[in-house]
Formats: sequence, C-alpha cells, structure tokens
Amino acid sequence: MKKILKRVAIAVAALAVVGFLAFLYLIPPFDLLPREAFINPHAAAVAGSLQSIADPAERALAERGQYIMSYSDCSDCHTPQGDQGPNWDEFLAGGAKFQTRYTGTVYSRNLTPDKETGLARASDEEVKRVLRSGVFHDGRIMAPTTMPWPAFSNMTEEDRDALVVYLRHIRPVEHKVGEWSPQTPNALYYFYAYDYAEHPAKK
Amino acid sequence: MRRNSSGVARVTTVFFLFLFSSPLRSSPPDEAGPTTDLGRSIYAARCAPCHGSTGQGNGPNAGLLNPRPRNFTSGVYKFRSTESGSLPTDDDLMSTVKNGLHGTSMSDWGAFIHGDSLKAVVAYIKTFSPKFQNDRPRPIRVTTPVPMTAASIEAGKKVYAKLQCADCHGTDGAGKGVVAGDFKDDWNYDIDAADLTQPWMFRGGSTPRDIYIRFKAGVDGTPMPSYVGTATDKEMWDLANYVVSLARKPAWKMNAGELKDFYAKLDLQAKANPIQRGRYLVRTIGCGGCHSMYDDSLGIIEGTQFSGGLTFELYPFGNYTSRNLTSDKETGLGNWTDQEIKRAFTQGIARDGRKFLPFPMPWASFASLKEEDQDAIVAYLRTLPAIHHKIPDPEKPNIFSYLWGKFRMLVLKEQFPASAHSMKPVDDGGKPVSVLSGSQARPIALRSVDAKEVQR
Repeated sequence: MKKILKRVAIAVAALAVVGFLAFLYLIPPFDLLPREAFINPHAAAVAGSLQSIADPAERALAERGQYIMSYSDCSDCHTPQGDQGPNWDEFLAGGAKFQTRYTGTVYSRNLTPDKETGLARASDEEVKRVLRSGVFHDGRIMAPTTMPWPAFSNMTEEDRDALVVYLRHIRPVEHKVGEWSPQTPNALYYFYAYDYAEHPAKK
Repeated sequence: MRRNSSGVARVTTVFFLFLFSSPLRSSPPDEAGPTTDLGRSIYAARCAPCHGSTGQGNGPNAGLLNPRPRNFTSGVYKFRSTESGSLPTDDDLMSTVKNGLHGTSMSDWGAFIHGDSLKAVVAYIKTFSPKFQNDRPRPIRVTTPVPMTAASIEAGKKVYAKLQCADCHGTDGAGKGVVAGDFKDDWNYDIDAADLTQPWMFRGGSTPRDIYIRFKAGVDGTPMPSYVGTATDKEMWDLANYVVSLARKPAWKMNAGELKDFYAKLDLQAKANPIQRGRYLVRTIGCGGCHSMYDDSLGIIEGTQFSGGLTFELYPFGNYTSRNLTSDKETGLGNWTDQEIKRAFTQGIARDGRKFLPFPMPWASFASLKEEDQDAIVAYLRTLPAIHHKIPDPEKPNIFSYLWGKFRMLVLKEQFPASAHSMKPVDDGGKPVSVLSGSQARPIALRSVDAKEVQR
C-alpha cells in the first residue's frame, strides 16, 4: 500500500514538474492567446465620447484625428497599465515608465485635456510643435527614443490639427505623471536637454 | 493569465534607443571666441539632433524627416533673399531660425533663441562652410510691389501659363503637375513640388513679398529656378498675387459640409493615387525607422531604408531582425501576395504562417487601418526599389534557456532590458554582421520590460 502511495506521489510530483514546465513554455507571451487578444480595442473604448461634440465640423475633425491616433499607436505608450491590461478608464492618461541606460527614466505624458495634469496646460501650437519638431514647451528637444516624432513630423498640418482636436475632446483624466530623471550624468538625453546658459560649452 | 499586449508593445519605440548607443561625433573645428562658444553650445542642444554635430544634415533624427535637414557644409541654402547661387544674408538665416520653415520639421525657435544667442548660433552655422569666408551674399533688389487687384491676379495667371509653372505645380496649383512626382534635390533626396493652394505650408512665408522673393531668388538645390531674366519684376509681382489668390481654406476653418466634401475628396485622391497615400502613411508611421540599417554615427545608412537589418535582442524570446520590405524577390516582399503582406502587418502572421511577437512590430495597431489604406501601403511598398538583403531568421534560444528565462522573468520577477543593434550591409560570406558586436558592443538598456507586465 505504502509502495503504491509512494509511486503515486512520485508520479504526481513528476507530472507537476512537467506541467509547470509546459505552463512556463506556453504562457504568454504569446502562445496561448488568440490573435484577436492583441488587437487594441481603444478605438471602441472612447468612440462614444465624440458623438457628444456639438459642433459638427469639430466632430468631423475629431473623428479624423481619432483614426490617425489609432493607427499611429499612441495609446500603446500613453494609456497606463492596470492589473488586467491597459486601463481603458484612463485612456491616454500617460504614466508608462521607460527606463533606458542613455536617457534615464521618462514617463509618457498625460494627453487628456485635464487642467492640472494633462494637455490642457499646453496650447494647440505647443502640442503641434511636439508632433512636428519634437520641441517641448520649454525648448527641450524630445529624444525620439521616447516618442517617434520624426515619423509624425511627416503628417500634413491639417492631419496634425485634426489629431490635436481629437485630443481636446477625450475624457479628461487627472493623472499626475512623473518627471524625467536622468540617471546617469552622461546620458545622451542630456545632449538634448542641454541648457547652454547654465553649462557653458567646454573649450 | 492574460498578457498585456500594450505593455510589451511599448518597446516599439525601442529602435530609437539604438540611436543613443554611441557617443556624439567629433566636434567641428575649434574657433576661438566667446561667441563661438555660445553658438556651439546652442547648436549642440538645439540643432545637432537633426543637422548633425558636423553640420552635414545627418543627425540622429534626420533619417525619417522629409524634407531632410539642411547640410550646412555645402553652403547651399534654399530660402534666401539673395541672388540664385549666392549665400544667404545673416537676416535670412536668423529669420529661418526664428520663424522655422512651415511644412517641415524645422521649428520656430524664436521663443527660445533670440538676441545675442540668435546671432551666435547663426555665426556658428556659418563656420561649417568655407564659402562664407570667401564669398559675400548678393541681395536681390526688391522693387515696388504691385497692389493686389483683380487685374494683377489675372495678369499673374497669364504669367503662370507663360512660365509653365503648371508643369510642376499643376494647373490648379496643388503641386500635381505632369512632371511632378519624381523630383530629387541636389542631395538626391525626394522632394515634392510645393502645393500652392496651402499657403500655411510655404517654407519661406506666404505674403506676396515672400513669394516674389522666392521667384527672384529661386530655391537653390532644387528644380525651382530663379526667374530673373525670364520674367520682369512686374510679372513676378503679378504672379505672386496670383499665387496668393490660389489659397484654399484650411481644414480647421471649414464648416461641417465643407469638411465632409474635403475628406471625401481626399479619399478619392487616395483611391486614384494609392502609391501617394501609401507613401504618406508609411512615412507618418515611420516604418523606415526599424526597417533600416544604421551606421556608427547613428544615422540611417543611405540606400538601406526599408531593407531591414535592425536586430532586437529580446531575452528570453531570442533575437529578431527587422525584415526586408523592398520588392526584392528573394529576400524582400517581391514574391509575397498583397494579401500576405496585409496579413503580416495587420495580424502578425508571416507568409510561412509563423507568428510575430506582438512587439516590437506594432501590427495590432495597424489592424485599425482602413482596408483601402492597407492597400495603399502595399501599393507603396511595391514601388520600393529592390535591395538584395538577406535577413537572418529569428534566433531562438534552446528550450532550456528559454524555460530558465521565463522562470526568471515570471517567478523570480527579474527584469530584462531589451536591446537593438544594426548590422553591416552584407559581408563577404553573405552573412550580415553586427556593427555593435564583440568588444565594440555597446548593448543598450532599452526600456526594461517589466516582468509583471509580461505576466499579465
């Protein structure tokens, strides 16, 4: 009897180990999920909010902007992550952390029109300047490591404007986002953030 | 456990980090004086990211910009108030820095660079070309303007026909003339004829005076000539007035009905010319950013754009190299059907049925592209000249290290930075070689892939 129990125990243990290894092998990423699971549902998540725009011209612009936003992949970086994937309640509210050896730690910005923490603080022209030239409101050039603005600079001015109109009409979310912190003094990002008044060039 | 596609797909921007994996190039020759110091430091912070620290227009950001940043070493400037072939005046350069160039990624720096700083940075830019020491700008003479009247506009229309402006800019001025489409500038980069109906895109300003100066000065380095000698001053003023009259309403000023028509017209144009639309989408999405090779100075190697060759090291999943998107039959997409290409970039399934990782290729987002836009992208990719560039298959780890890596990631909660490196075009053995391999390797910590996110 004991022998049988022992054998069963060994079998169970072996099965558990094999099962665990198989589990490790198969768990995401990415083998167990259907392909649809990777399709970003963000467009559907906010589609309702554009219908409430009173001005039909503004609505048409915002719809164009929404389309541009979805294929340009904005929400992958700018929607914060919850326990069950992207937190769609905080759509485009930023806060994703990017840690790199050469740029230090940066956080994706809050793109919702929140007055305290979001894009409401920036003028349309300031937002467009980031999308066009990668230049922040303080004159710093954004490293394309954190946002591929050189690609977005190829947009027509009219599409860029539509995108900004869209961003003005998504639901504002109060979400304070961390500031950039250079972790190494010779981070190349420093090159972009270089303040020539405080750091006179070395001869 | 549900994987969070977005969390990991964020590494789509990973490739840009590659650009930051090496120190800056050597500085241009030293010049004495505090002005040069000030100019140099402003240049390093504000200009070098695109124009390059040696002024050759090949900074880390330059590869994806259209038009490309100016190469200062050539001394050829497009937007001047001086004779064709002459140098720009200091005021021209300062105005460009201050106001930017509309329709390009050159920003309006006026809010950040002014006064002595502006003078210093312009002086520094001039040190890149010896021409400024040997030659002087020859400003053009601006005559008295012809007032904007119906008669002048009508006269300008005749000049437009006489000077054959429509060949490049189209009869309606929308930049779609019969010979438009294949323009290259002197540096062999694609450029487009200006769309004269969109004055907000005019690089050098949209007043009649700005436009008159453009006719008189020409746009050096492009097919746009100076019309001095071909047309009289009065004709050029009339023409400027006519060009101003061509302006259409921008989308942001249209009412709902006009917008509906406008977007319908854009859709029609896209359908009529899918290659144009596809080029626009491919450029704004930035496909060339990953599907290209990079040189040691972190610029995209000329002639390798879209031929793939950037390798992403994604422990524990293996090393994945961006594919060749050109129309080469053997190594590119030449033998793929349209459906296969579309399935690859919208569903992440390769021709042979192999599934892509959900990153760094953000195919899940491209699934939201409309069917006709997907077709347009395919149509454009078909036009890319074939580049023979064999891309290695993904290198996957053996099962033990894969399991061990997964264990570290998911159970021990370790974080593994992803990294990327470019390859040399093709070495003698036909096998691509990593630029940043061996002792020269400068592996870069990309965004740390958070184990928790991967687990979800």
